[in-house]
Amino acid sequence: MSTGKILRRISCGILLAVFAAGLFAGTLAHNSYARQFREAPNAAPSAQHRMGTDSLGRDLLARLAYGTRVSLLLAPAAALLATLIAGLFGGVAGLAGGWSEKVILSAADLSMALPLLFVLIALRALLPLDVSPVVSVVATFVTLGALGWPASLRVVWAAARNLRNSDCLLLARAGGCPPVRILLRHVLPNLRPVLFAQFWISIPLFILAEATLSMLGLGVMEPLPSWGNLLKGLENFSAVRANPWMLSPLLLLVIVVICFQFVLPAQEELT
Amino acid sequence: MTPWISRIGQRLLLLGALTLAGGLLGATLVRFAPGYGVDERELDPGLSASSREAIRNEHRLQSGLLSFYAGYLSRAVHGDFGRSEWLDRPIAGLLKERFPVTIRSVFFGIVTAWAAALALALAALFSRGWLLDLTGTLASGFLIALPGAVVALLAMYFRAPIFVAISVVLFPKVFRYLRNLLAQAYDQPCVLAARARGIGQARLLLRHVLPLAAPPVAALLGVSISMAFGAAIPIEALCDSPGLGQLAWLAALNRDLPLIMNLTLVVTLVTVAANSAADLLHAREL
Repeated sequence: MSTGKILRRISCGILLAVFAAGLFAGTLAHNSYARQFREAPNAAPSAQHRMGTDSLGRDLLARLAYGTRVSLLLAPAAALLATLIAGLFGGVAGLAGGWSEKVILSAADLSMALPLLFVLIALRALLPLDVSPVVSVVATFVTLGALGWPASLRVVWAAARNLRNSDCLLLARAGGCPPVRILLRHVLPNLRPVLFAQFWISIPLFILAEATLSMLGLGVMEPLPSWGNLLKGLENFSAVRANPWMLSPLLLLVIVVICFQFVLPAQEELT
Repeated sequence: MTPWISRIGQRLLLLGALTLAGGLLGATLVRFAPGYGVDERELDPGLSASSREAIRNEHRLQSGLLSFYAGYLSRAVHGDFGRSEWLDRPIAGLLKERFPVTIRSVFFGIVTAWAAALALALAALFSRGWLLDLTGTLASGFLIALPGAVVALLAMYFRAPIFVAISVVLFPKVFRYLRNLLAQAYDQPCVLAARARGIGQARLLLRHVLPLAAPPVAALLGVSISMAFGAAIPIEALCDSPGLGQLAWLAALNRDLPLIMNLTLVVTLVTVAANSAADLLHAREL
């Protein structure tokens, strides 16, 4: 077995373990993520708090486990939304050509010209400041999904355009195959690897974007934890120096994003 | 020559259309924000009814999105970009003050990231040693996994300049693409033939590998300008650098419509111009 395959299997194992930890956060952590132990702020790991506490005395393990659930369940949902938008419009642009192609690609160009973070910040700031944490989570990830499609659209468009001129579609059309059947039997199976790759690529991007947004105070609202607002604790350098376990959310995020890079299907396997 | 001029014309048209659309999009986003048009001066009990009405009339004039946008465009042609509602200062002055700060950071950030990525990619390519390639892959794999805001905190901790933080965000993306592009060019039959003839490495690079890789590398340069502006927002915001990124963040938080619209236009203009230049260069090379 090649080194690449071994790394991919190890990464898959780590990702599955982290996903499971997020799903079973309640079992893993005995304390509530919002409960404050006011007598023990910034406490070191102990039997009661296995990863210590944050500056407000909240159990860090509980916050990390629930934050993992928020980040790792909603980032794929946002990636799915972005891939669906990219697949729909990229497919139409690539297959139909003409004016629809020009309009869709111009819209993608416009969206790509605006730095994603700038638009995200502006959009997030439109929401009232007193939204509930759950609404802030949904708003953050829906916004990410709704704005994260342009790069994927370009890739899907290129694949669909190649497909438009392919022999298989020409044969299908010449054979009198109805458009719906062409779409379902020829187009979608050929675009599936590209869509899958774009979906997979988008997940770590959205995890990182959420982290940055939350660190700027515009992502998931407290007291609900996410990897982003857990990282906000790193702004207090003296607390981090005294309690290095506060770096655990960053460590987990870096490991997960690196694992996603290893798991990403190689381009040659897709084509 | 004619198709080339026509292509430039098309790109300029697209540039104009995208810039206007970008500004309109920015205006729309903030115009429909909850609380837009509410003025805390109306709460002042010392104001008379006519003064309150005058304040409301002032906002009413700007209440329609299209009328607001059309008025803005006509004033912008004469160099008047309006006033920031939040800072109560002319926007042109704010842009003039902040734009050089960001441009300087972005420029040096791009130069540093590209120099490091190019040096490492070329070293890995010509040495064909696994150690350099692995070092580059590990470094880029680790750096790409860091959120921009964490890089900003690290820059703050180590008291590094803003451009270094921007280059740290850019480096992994640039390195990965660049390494692959150069490796693809290096494996082309014409380069293999040149190597077989015993051409020196410098000549091989300058005469064969780089010209082959130039078009996609130019496109990558265009994209990296957009990425650098995106990276500037969290870095300037968290490192308290008085640039456009910080201004955009604060303007969004304070729902300052005129300021956000102008910032959107400036950022859109710069990034679309960069991408168009790269695209034209790419087309010319082809």
